[in-house]
Amino acid sequence: MINDLAAPHRSQAHGGALQRGRRRRARVSVGSVSDDAVPPLGGIPEPDDAEVGRRFAAGDEQALAWAYERFAGQVHGMAVRAFGPGPDAEDVTQQVFVSAWTGRTGYRPEQGPLPAWLVGICRHKIADTWVRRDRQRRAAEAAVTEARSAVDSTGPQVDTAVADRVLLLGELQQLGQPQRGIIELAFFEDLTHTQIAERTGLPLGTVKSHIRRTLERLRTRLEVDGAALHA
Amino acid sequence: MPHCTPEQLALAALRERLPDTDTTHLAVCAECRAEVASLQRGVDALAVRELAAPEAPVPPPPSVWSGIAAATGVSAAPRPEVVAGSRRPLTAVPADRVRPVTPAPRSERPAAAGVVRPQWSRLLLAAAAALVVGVGIGAGVVALGTGDDDGLAVAAAALDPLDDRGATGEARAVERPDGSRVLELDLSAADPDDGFYEVWLIDEAVEDMYPLGVVRGGGEVTLEVPPGVDLTEFPVVDVSLEPLDGDPRHSGVSVARGVLES
Repeated sequence: MINDLAAPHRSQAHGGALQRGRRRRARVSVGSVSDDAVPPLGGIPEPDDAEVGRRFAAGDEQALAWAYERFAGQVHGMAVRAFGPGPDAEDVTQQVFVSAWTGRTGYRPEQGPLPAWLVGICRHKIADTWVRRDRQRRAAEAAVTEARSAVDSTGPQVDTAVADRVLLLGELQQLGQPQRGIIELAFFEDLTHTQIAERTGLPLGTVKSHIRRTLERLRTRLEVDGAALHA
Repeated sequence: MPHCTPEQLALAALRERLPDTDTTHLAVCAECRAEVASLQRGVDALAVRELAAPEAPVPPPPSVWSGIAAATGVSAAPRPEVVAGSRRPLTAVPADRVRPVTPAPRSERPAAAGVVRPQWSRLLLAAAAALVVGVGIGAGVVALGTGDDDGLAVAAAALDPLDDRGATGEARAVERPDGSRVLELDLSAADPDDGFYEVWLIDEAVEDMYPLGVVRGGGEVTLEVPPGVDLTEFPVVDVSLEPLDGDPRHSGVSVARGVLES
């Protein structure tokens, strides 16, 4: 008789120690419970992140599972930071991995590590969620305005920052390297141009001129498309 | 006094500290300040904390992987103890919400991103995934029989109790000479005062499940496995306690569970 109520709890406690490996396939007869001291799990040695990235791009399903094991926490951490724990954050995390998988041919291992690419997708999903929320907010406000039959002709305003973010994240994606890496370090890691030069090994002047050109490019994008978007 | 260089103005837009000559000039030159302001709109839109590099990781609940698996259709899965990363306590589930998991036809699986699950599903799956982990690692596994004339055992599972009813049992998947498959299940449990026990095959993501049939406590039963159901994809044998309410869905109350191993 297996009558071990504690089994699930015990193994949960051991969960942290069960590092990469396959679950043991034991053949024991009914009535015995496998030893508490689970032996080191043999099996497939797991590839490093770079190899996971290459296999991911090549469409190896196991690479998606590994990517989830390794990076879902980071991605979800970002989503939770933006929306708090709950359905919005969970949907963002889910969408990041689904989009990454369906768009895996767009991942170029030589352009950067897989987690950085996933984080980039996460930014898009967060920005998209803001847009959706803003749209819902405006719809709700419009309904209220209508109900009051106000003569106020302006109506609910689009949150321009929300729309700008989607537009500009798209523009960042068009940038080649090293421009993109440089501006991401400035925007998302809050590094100064001096720190960026140290980090990337690029000359100070190069970093400065890339920053200038990228900011101009973003400005142009806002001037051209931002207005249309907000009209 | 000459204007600031375009590069310095860009750094000003990033709010970097500039040399005194630039700062002094900016203080008096509306033209340069306007240039900074025009470059700054992009900075202000993107350089926000919500989009910054990840800080503390937060393990997503198991429903997130289930959604990914459903949307992508991949059969590989992360290790269950990783998927189960953030478990929510089952006690937090309001009783009326534990009424879950319709075994949806597979064609109705969501095909795209943006799968939104109702809350009850999230919670139930979390609890269920945690249990699968426990069973998979902590429990014994039934030896495969050598089979007999009626067929060959291809996989077996020891069923461990999940609550204080102490229900246990064993299950064997047997392939018969004609290619059909059955699950032979032997359950040791007191018959419930109300309701009955039902047997399910569940996938490892605890996303989908097939009901196989009814089993009595202290009884042996042979249940047909639906043709086409891949037992490696649906390896979890689950025995639920079903109330007599006519609802065909899993009650959310599992009394014993095990994972088929070949």
